[in-house]
Amino acid sequence: MSNLENVQKDFLEILLAGDSKKAVTLAKEVLEGGTAPTEFFEKCISPSLEEIGKRFETLDIFLPEMVTAADVVQTVNDKVITPAVEASESEGITSAGKVLMATVQGDLHDIGKNMVVLMLKVNGFEVVDLGTNVSPSEIVERAESESVNIIGMSSLLTTCLPYMKDVFDYLDGKDTRNEYAVIMGGAATTPEFSEEMGANGYGHSAAEAVALCQKIMA
Amino acid sequence: MGNINGMDYEVLLTALDRAENGPIVDEKVWDAEIIGKNFQETLKKYDIKLEKDDPYVTADDDLADRLWEAGMELAAKTGVYCIDTKRHMQWTRDELEGILAVMPDQVTVGEGDDTATIIHRRPEEDSHVVIYGGPFGIPITEELFIPFHEAYAREPLIEIFNMGTLLSTRGRMIRAGSPWESIAAWQEKELAFEILDRVGRPGMAMGCVEIATTEVGELAGTTYGGYRPTDCHKINFISEQKTAYHHLIEAAHYAHIDAFSESYFNPMYGGYVGGGAGVALACVSGSIVMRAAYQGTLNNIGPTHVHLSASTHPEVLRALQLGLQALSRNGNFLTSPFIRPTSGPGTKEIFYETGALAAAATVAGCSYIDAAQSARGTKTGHASPLEVLFVAKLTHALEGMSRVDAAPLVAWMVDRYKDSQVDPLLGKPFQELHDLETLDPKPEWQTLFDEVCQEVETEFGLKL
Repeated sequence: MSNLENVQKDFLEILLAGDSKKAVTLAKEVLEGGTAPTEFFEKCISPSLEEIGKRFETLDIFLPEMVTAADVVQTVNDKVITPAVEASESEGITSAGKVLMATVQGDLHDIGKNMVVLMLKVNGFEVVDLGTNVSPSEIVERAESESVNIIGMSSLLTTCLPYMKDVFDYLDGKDTRNEYAVIMGGAATTPEFSEEMGANGYGHSAAEAVALCQKIMA
Repeated sequence: MGNINGMDYEVLLTALDRAENGPIVDEKVWDAEIIGKNFQETLKKYDIKLEKDDPYVTADDDLADRLWEAGMELAAKTGVYCIDTKRHMQWTRDELEGILAVMPDQVTVGEGDDTATIIHRRPEEDSHVVIYGGPFGIPITEELFIPFHEAYAREPLIEIFNMGTLLSTRGRMIRAGSPWESIAAWQEKELAFEILDRVGRPGMAMGCVEIATTEVGELAGTTYGGYRPTDCHKINFISEQKTAYHHLIEAAHYAHIDAFSESYFNPMYGGYVGGGAGVALACVSGSIVMRAAYQGTLNNIGPTHVHLSASTHPEVLRALQLGLQALSRNGNFLTSPFIRPTSGPGTKEIFYETGALAAAATVAGCSYIDAAQSARGTKTGHASPLEVLFVAKLTHALEGMSRVDAAPLVAWMVDRYKDSQVDPLLGKPFQELHDLETLDPKPEWQTLFDEVCQEVETEFGLKL
């Protein structure tokens, strides 16, 4: 087993323990030892997050551990990786893509959407999370201002589906539909509705949402 | 104080004050720390554990009572979060105990000859469990709305009735928070009372307003000539322990019209409260603060698996029955489980799923049972009265049974559906399982029902 593989195992345990201090210390030590920041990200951070995502899928860990792990990684990125990348003037870590996520107007449910946000982040996506009860106009305006690749909408309630339709109508009205992939999920949505709307995909679970985004960005 | 619903107006005003004036908290902090961390610390402090090899129906009174104590402490520590004001609503332990002390131990809903009396029960108590039955929010077309619901409402074992959700209103899409929600609410009310008249049960209490996504629907459906104060109006938390102006408006409305309400919430297994032990704790803590925030007449708990969206997952079931025991042993809550199976009608699995949770909840001391949101409520028309009938028969057969005796029955049923939950059997829609003229189950569907009843009778010596 290579040294980085051993480090990755330790890093995973640190993420699961939610210890930001230790994670930052470890990252600094590894980089000071000569490892490039992008290599540390690809060989330690990324596989650790992938493992955490898998464990959440099987519920070997729960949402709080995943939130904590994502927060620790954010801290490591902010304090170690990003500064190191900037200092070396090398190419940064490539994002898997930028996704806007929202629970649509009329709906206050957020846990499903939050799970997708987290799973996207641990899989290397940048996410703009607009929260709940988001109007179609705001979804479209923010997609534009944030230059996202994918718009993701969630709803638990059938009576909120018209607001999803509005997003497609607004994009068509602005003639910008082709600039974004649009995906949907949540208990109210169905593959049939997704097809009727001309969505780029429908996800039944957070894991499916990630797979869909990865396929879109490939 | 409400004459019918017993709501204390000052308690309501206090709750509203706290939504306006409590400390400001970021929602992420609420989720991760006020809920997440506090739940884990409390579980540890009170040594609340639920292991995968524990029986599905536990019979540990000390555990149930420790869970209650843990829940009381946590309720005072956490409280409720108002997402509109971003404020933390808290009550002291003394305040919570005062609110709980005046809870009634029974209530009679409905009118005339069609009332139903729901009583507080303790675990293993040989007393009547009320069946609050229907297709709970399952989408259904306008064309099928009446026959679909008439098939349920005519069942005498269903004592309170809850309908599905209109898929459209007068041929138009229903849009939450818009005039169409108001139109749909009124249409639902009209159809509801037509259904009750058709089955000769005009006074039966109805769950309402089913189409209400926002307060628009609730207010529209319960104005003059609308649903009655003696119906079961709805009010809920968003997970975990969150409220919004929408719900607080409803609470105020129910106080003003002196209406019964069913308050409900769905802790998430795998979510911020953690695993089984966390869900059990959430059942208690959530019920206590929900009482403080809403003073709901009835208390429905529908914990759900974070990936499967079902309340019948074995770990969820185990957690819920423990939570119900803690509540029924220590407070006057009129509780029920919310039965949301992964399976749909037209399968045997739906009987095993709904039956397992009903059985566990009955011996745990629930007062009534909400059944059933078949196929997780996600498929249009995928529901049938037969799964509710099965729940009713099994529930009544188990009244007075001990938890130890019920455990093997529940385990037997769980074994027969648990492997199907990841890729659920969605079954068939109502119109393929029932004759639309007579509304009777078609022979194949009736046969499945009879077979499962026979299995249970033979295996466990029960009479369904």
